[in-house]
Amino acid sequence: MSEATQQEYVTLVSGDGFEFVVPRSTACVSGTIRRMLDPSSNFSEAITGRCVLETLSGVVLEKVCEYFCYNQKNKEQANVPDMEIPPELCLELLMAADYLDT
Amino acid sequence: MENEIPLPLPPRRRKSHRPSRFDDRSSQPSSDPALFSSDDIPASGLENYHAPAHGNTGRKRRYRGTWWGETVLDPKRKRKDFKDKRFVDSGVWMGSDESFAESLLPSEDAPISEEFFKNVRNSNPRVPKKEQDEDAVPFAFAAPGPESALGMDRGPISKPQPQVVTQPRVAFRRVFESQEHQLARAIVNDCLEKGQDSVDLSIGNMREIPSNLLGPLQHLTKLPAVREPPVTEDVYSSLEPFLRLFLAGNSLFKLSSELFDLTSLKVLSLRNNKLTEVPPAIRRLTSLQDVNLSVNRLEYLPWEFLWLIRKGDLKHLIVRPNPLMQIDEAEIAHWHYPNTTTPVSLDKPLRLQEYESPVPEEAWAPIHIATGPIRRFNTDGYPIPEAQSNTTSNEFNSNVPSLREVSLVSLNKSNFFDLTPDSDIADLPELMLRLLRYGREVRAAGGRCCSICHRNFVLPRTEWIEWWDCSTYENGLKGPRASGEKLRPLPFKRLGCSWECVPEMKSVEVTYIPESTLE
Repeated sequence: MSEATQQEYVTLVSGDGFEFVVPRSTACVSGTIRRMLDPSSNFSEAITGRCVLETLSGVVLEKVCEYFCYNQKNKEQANVPDMEIPPELCLELLMAADYLDT
Repeated sequence: MENEIPLPLPPRRRKSHRPSRFDDRSSQPSSDPALFSSDDIPASGLENYHAPAHGNTGRKRRYRGTWWGETVLDPKRKRKDFKDKRFVDSGVWMGSDESFAESLLPSEDAPISEEFFKNVRNSNPRVPKKEQDEDAVPFAFAAPGPESALGMDRGPISKPQPQVVTQPRVAFRRVFESQEHQLARAIVNDCLEKGQDSVDLSIGNMREIPSNLLGPLQHLTKLPAVREPPVTEDVYSSLEPFLRLFLAGNSLFKLSSELFDLTSLKVLSLRNNKLTEVPPAIRRLTSLQDVNLSVNRLEYLPWEFLWLIRKGDLKHLIVRPNPLMQIDEAEIAHWHYPNTTTPVSLDKPLRLQEYESPVPEEAWAPIHIATGPIRRFNTDGYPIPEAQSNTTSNEFNSNVPSLREVSLVSLNKSNFFDLTPDSDIADLPELMLRLLRYGREVRAAGGRCCSICHRNFVLPRTEWIEWWDCSTYENGLKGPRASGEKLRPLPFKRLGCSWECVPEMKSVEVTYIPESTLE
């Protein structure tokens, strides 16, 4: 388990099988994923470093990962640029945001 | 006879084997020769105009069929066989066209007209306001009985197709607009027509501002004064409208975003309404000079009024009487004036510091008296309890909007809410539904812009009250505050889009202390 916490990257898997490898700190922008990966929780995700997000499709998860990176990148900045989201993805992303607590 | 212009030679295509119009010596006009249906060519197309005519030379072409090009294959076919073809839209409307006429005119078939009116009635309760056109004056539709004169004349009419019956519903939707709104539209149209820049919609009994009512006012132009000669200097007045809008004495509960699109609005009166809040989008009315908000249900004002005072043109702000929050009852986190950090004892009223002439600038400008505690909200838009917000604040402080926020802002930017009726989103999860409804409300109120970082946002993450004394502006800048005058601060609510968007206490102090110590 101590080995898992040291892993720098985690894998996010969408419902339709797309895998996204992102830095652990980036994925932890989401409260849900942070709790999944919490080493003290003893969840299988925390041990393997692989989170399967059944409810999200690959397209949405890609945008979610983009948001994670956007959040991480602009964390320290005062003037945050806007992130563009295609209108057709808005509702699904809102749903995903609800699920991922971010 | 000699003066007469000679006619061009007739085409001699039958005499020569080669068509003469391809000859170089031809003096023919380049346009195609006239074509008559009596010409003995197999088909009346221009492509085969020059095709050699075989055999039947000299015979008149016999044509049987309809004028729009139907040829008769079997000469025994009857005229009624063409009947179904007649539904093809020829683009010409004739009185005998049944399919359209019967949908508008009541027919003798009582069940049909009953069904039709039922449809209209059913469609009425959920008539969206957006459907109404700005210029279309609602026309009254008197329900005629089945035996109306027109219906009698028309004689028996074949059964209408179902979609024909449903079609005119759109046209009749606006019938049910309330009388107040019709009246308001008439007034606005009248002002637009006469170029009158003072639009008086007061005492109109309106509960809400109908859509597309105020939008056209943005394009109002004054008409030049037409006078008899001699033309004097004062005829040459500016044609730029000094737009004044009086909505006093209505029963408005909220203001629509359309009002805030009238960027040239100079005077706005909302006196004696039922407003509980003025949306922050008021900031878009940058040329506003005079606002009357008295006799409403306001407990606080949007901070954007202060912005209008400082950066805009606002000179006169009438807000009393209103059930505004009082500074002696409110919780204060920080005092800015008079120059102390300890709470002022409220037994002693707040007064402007004594000054001697010349009048300091402070006696004119709004004075920041105090700032209330900051309330924080989580990404769902729920307030966070005070104790918890202090412990978590450092960890998540960032200017980055949440993913919910990003999606909501994008939704508001798109026309999703215009296109999606409430029933379509009703089966979404409850929490999302709440966010969507909130987003729609914000959009309807004209959107929000963070007062700190100027980003457009939907869900506020921070909120606090600033107390400012604006008594000079309440008087319409008639004079400065007197020396030692009692201060009556007004509450201004300010919203931030992230937990980083909070007032900078120290910098505020630094800017205000030197001013007060100078005196």
